Amino acid sequence: MIELTNVNKTYKNGVNALHNVNLTINQGEFVYIIGPTGSGKSTLIKLLDGEEIPSSGTVKVVGINVGKLRHNKVPLYRRNIGVVFQDYRLLPKKTVFENISYALEVINMRKDAIRHRVRRVMNLVSLDDKGNSFPSELSGGQQQRVAIARAIANRPKVLIADEPTGNLDPAKSDEIMTLLEKINREEGTTILMVTHDLTLVNKHRKRTISLENGHIVADMEDGGYMQHVK
Amino acid sequence: MLSRIFRPIKEGFFGVGRHAAMSLSSASAVTITLFIIGIFLIFTANVQSFTLNIEQSMEISVLIDYDHEQQEQLDAIGLAIGNIDGVRSVNFSDKDQEFQYYIDSFEDEEEQAIFEPFREDNPMHHAYYVEVYDGDNLETIANQISQIEGVYEVNYGGESSVTLVNVINSVRNGGAILAIALSLLAVFLIQNTIKVTILARADEIAIMRNVGAKNGFIRSPFLVEGIIIGILGAIIPILCMIFGYIYLYDALGGVVISNMFTLIAPHPFVLYLALILIGVGIVVGFIGSWLSVNKYLRWKR
Repeated sequence: MIELTNVNKTYKNGVNALHNVNLTINQGEFVYIIGPTGSGKSTLIKLLDGEEIPSSGTVKVVGINVGKLRHNKVPLYRRNIGVVFQDYRLLPKKTVFENISYALEVINMRKDAIRHRVRRVMNLVSLDDKGNSFPSELSGGQQQRVAIARAIANRPKVLIADEPTGNLDPAKSDEIMTLLEKINREEGTTILMVTHDLTLVNKHRKRTISLENGHIVADMEDGGYMQHVK
Repeated sequence: MLSRIFRPIKEGFFGVGRHAAMSLSSASAVTITLFIIGIFLIFTANVQSFTLNIEQSMEISVLIDYDHEQQEQLDAIGLAIGNIDGVRSVNFSDKDQEFQYYIDSFEDEEEQAIFEPFREDNPMHHAYYVEVYDGDNLETIANQISQIEGVYEVNYGGESSVTLVNVINSVRNGGAILAIALSLLAVFLIQNTIKVTILARADEIAIMRNVGAKNGFIRSPFLVEGIIIGILGAIIPILCMIFGYIYLYDALGGVVISNMFTLIAPHPFVLYLALILIGVGIVVGFIGSWLSVNKYLRWKR
């Protein structure tokens, strides 16, 4: 499903973000990527998302070589994956309903099918009554749930979540985690979650990949953060 | 299928409404420039029509020698003049008419009476009055006519006519160049304004790409928005130009200074003016949006 082979990434300003990263994630897995600030987590996400191109090596997601995509083909690729950002990235001038339906309009889905699907995902993230609200009228946790609903609306094979709980309190974080687990279980979506929320990783144990200074330093099947805290 | 056409239009209208302040600032940039362009259009169009009037009213008067007054000789001279390139019309006026014109040119009856005795022994020449197509050729044609046998004297107003034509021509050309330069400046100004208003929406465009929207899908509502802004910005200048010009025309009685400078009649001139202004507004809004959106589509991969 996700396959990184000998991936290196050096930014134009000379920063070496990733070194020789090899990684395989299979269909239906739920994987944490952990590591301190500057360890290359964000770069990894940007490579998977198509926002950055690897300096060398190949990034393959759902069989597509992401680094070789042309600029105007990147959005088409992104229809296969859903991305949830720490800062939500909702369209501020669109309502909750419109934000979610936008992701379906772009793939030319029929109107009634869109309405049906948007109601379904809004129900999944427990926001049934917020359809006409604007993002600015919602709390952080609610906005994050809208972002998740939007990311999964077109049934992507992969869901990438970049610190989805970064701005939330522990109770809300737990709520989001439960939601992601539900999506992983019910929709069969492969989930890749970047986080540095130690408690969360220890509570909901999953395969955990630890990054440090651009290297993969650990890949543990049953998770846990403790081993690599220096 | 139809939604592919109607979606951008609907979204475009929503976009203008939801970004009302920005739309207004872009539209006002359009308004100011269309105002300037409109005034210059009125100015150049009228100078153009003055020039035509003046050029058409310029005549060469050709006096015939006393020894060429036989009818066939006169006909031959008239034919020879008519055959010259650039001559629009040739009118004959015999010496009796010429004498009457001369006497009529005095207002005082006593003065007129002084010349009456000469009516029997008419000192005037037969004459041809020649109109030309292009005032620039006045001098050349006058010279050609003077070469014809039997022509006593040719008069075309000399240097002063030529100078007047030259002055009017340079005013007209200068006006046209200025209008073009202003239009280019307008596109630049409007593109910048729209760029600033879209800058605030660069994030929005990046998010749209994030959720899988193709470039054309993102661009089309912005283009509709640009067109709407262009039309909105054109409303005030169009109304001002239409009513302003009609008022000006009525106030001046249709002429400036003398009958030589006749203003263009408001109908259908103001209609064309309105169409040009709204057309410029639409094109400029469209180009401005296109350039700006493209820049931000490239902002992030």
